[in-house]
Amino acid sequence: MTALVEAEKTVSKKGDIMSGRVIVITSGKGGVGKTTTNANIGTALARAGKKVVMIDTDLGLRNLDLLLGLENRIVYTIVDVVEERCKLKQALVKDKKNPNLCLLAAAQTRDKTAVTEEQLKEICEELKKDFDFILVDCPAGIEQGFQNAVAGASEAIVVTTPEMSAVRDADRIIGLLEAKEEIKSYKLLINRVRPSMIKSNDMMSVEDVVEILSASLIGIIPEDTGIITSTNKGEPIVNDEKSLAGQAYRNVARRIIGEDVPFLNLEEDTSIMSKVKKFFTGLIGKEK
Amino acid sequence: MEKGYVENGFIVDLAHAKKASEVLYELSKVLDMPEAKNKSICLKLGELNLTEPELVSIKALIETMHSTIEFISTVSEITTTSAKELGIEISNIGTVLPALDITASEEKNETVNAELETALDKIFGQSDFEETDPEEPDHPEIQTNSAETDNKEVQLVSFEEPEDLETLRKNDRETEKLPTLYIHRTIRSGQSISSEGNIVIIGDVNPGAEIIAKGDITVWGILGGIAHAGSDGNTYSKIRALKLNAIQIRIGNIFARRPDTVNTPYIHRTDSYVPEEARVNKNHIMIYKLHEA
Repeated sequence: MTALVEAEKTVSKKGDIMSGRVIVITSGKGGVGKTTTNANIGTALARAGKKVVMIDTDLGLRNLDLLLGLENRIVYTIVDVVEERCKLKQALVKDKKNPNLCLLAAAQTRDKTAVTEEQLKEICEELKKDFDFILVDCPAGIEQGFQNAVAGASEAIVVTTPEMSAVRDADRIIGLLEAKEEIKSYKLLINRVRPSMIKSNDMMSVEDVVEILSASLIGIIPEDTGIITSTNKGEPIVNDEKSLAGQAYRNVARRIIGEDVPFLNLEEDTSIMSKVKKFFTGLIGKEK
Repeated sequence: MEKGYVENGFIVDLAHAKKASEVLYELSKVLDMPEAKNKSICLKLGELNLTEPELVSIKALIETMHSTIEFISTVSEITTTSAKELGIEISNIGTVLPALDITASEEKNETVNAELETALDKIFGQSDFEETDPEEPDHPEIQTNSAETDNKEVQLVSFEEPEDLETLRKNDRETEKLPTLYIHRTIRSGQSISSEGNIVIIGDVNPGAEIIAKGDITVWGILGGIAHAGSDGNTYSKIRALKLNAIQIRIGNIFARRPDTVNTPYIHRTDSYVPEEARVNKNHIMIYKLHEA
């Protein structure tokens, strides 16, 4: 058994035999948390010991570097790679904490036409040799930027929130993904879920969304104000062990790797008071 | 007044009113609504006796809202004479209507009256307004009787059937000859399916999707998008679904939109569907429950 693990390690060191999974993270609608999801899943996968590279294809509106706190380290961007001003490896920015994690940043001064589908495909193929996971951060919309991002991918994660508009756009995106032969599978990630609002019938439930989109679920992320602070700090929330959203993202990463992780019970975990209560009632129960 | 509606207007049922003041009060409430301006108004007055000055004040009230009295219906002789004096047209709707009797539907006259009655019920039961001209930019709402009381629906179905059955059957045979496009997947937002023949979809049609067929459309799932059957103008085409929740239904050249009161963009899946069928009945798209037919 150990021998097998060793063998696997040497294989991955050789590089040429390794073939990574290219996953595009998309949503159609903007502001539902594509980039946040990307940063967190990427970080979580890297924490789990996988070699991960994230590609930001949102040319002209790059954000992924901010979320990771890597803005000041970017020298070359994806456009520099495509226009052959540098080698691909030179453009990869290593994460501050995790050496397994790399970022290929988008160019802020250019627009979506600066890169073509073919070029992105090539970049993905090349990165596949050295990484376990290539996460492609897709821009909002269904235009060239989306087409580029999807070009090299074989799997997709569709991010949506429990809102009618986001679900409608996700439906459109799934339709487009289904039409693409290269995309072998797509999974649904429901972001910004508020159990209390669902309980009071003010928000669509997770079941509703899954039912409407008839897609399989890979994660449910609760609404967490910590996301805002983590974005501002450039520190993905998965690094916060206490955060429920962080936990949810770590679970998503484990599911991507292939583990069978049950979905978090958001209702129970939301209230600290209920936990405290449970603890005390537990104590009293024991004493009796 | 042969049809159950008024061009650019509506009918106000005041048959229950006992005094002229009640009529004025009820009427002022109706006229206060912004939609009531510049409309032809028909008053259903029943047995109420109105003198000439009373009618003048009612007329004046209506005219302050820039509307006009199209006609009034009454059984009272006093009201009739006062109306005649004022030159207001009298119609006998609501007075000659027979008690609703399903067996009476064999005769055509009775059918028209009964249709009128149900149309009136609809108006008075839900709101005082009804858009009736299908060519108007603001399309008439889909007249869903499935959501209403079961009574109404049974009436509508049984009154309509004898008249059109022959043509419907004939058309069924015609559509059978058309080729059928068979699709087994969910049709999603932004996708459009069109066919020269019939379309059968096993799966849902999500909002934002579009289905266009020259023949019939059948959806074995929830129809939530736009469906257009009989796209070459055949108004005998039908649209069927396990659940009809279409944003817009078009059959031939007739349009209908989902009522604004139905604010359920998405329908929950259940184990017990009542399949529904949309077809054209006298220039209106009607939805019928299939299992009761």
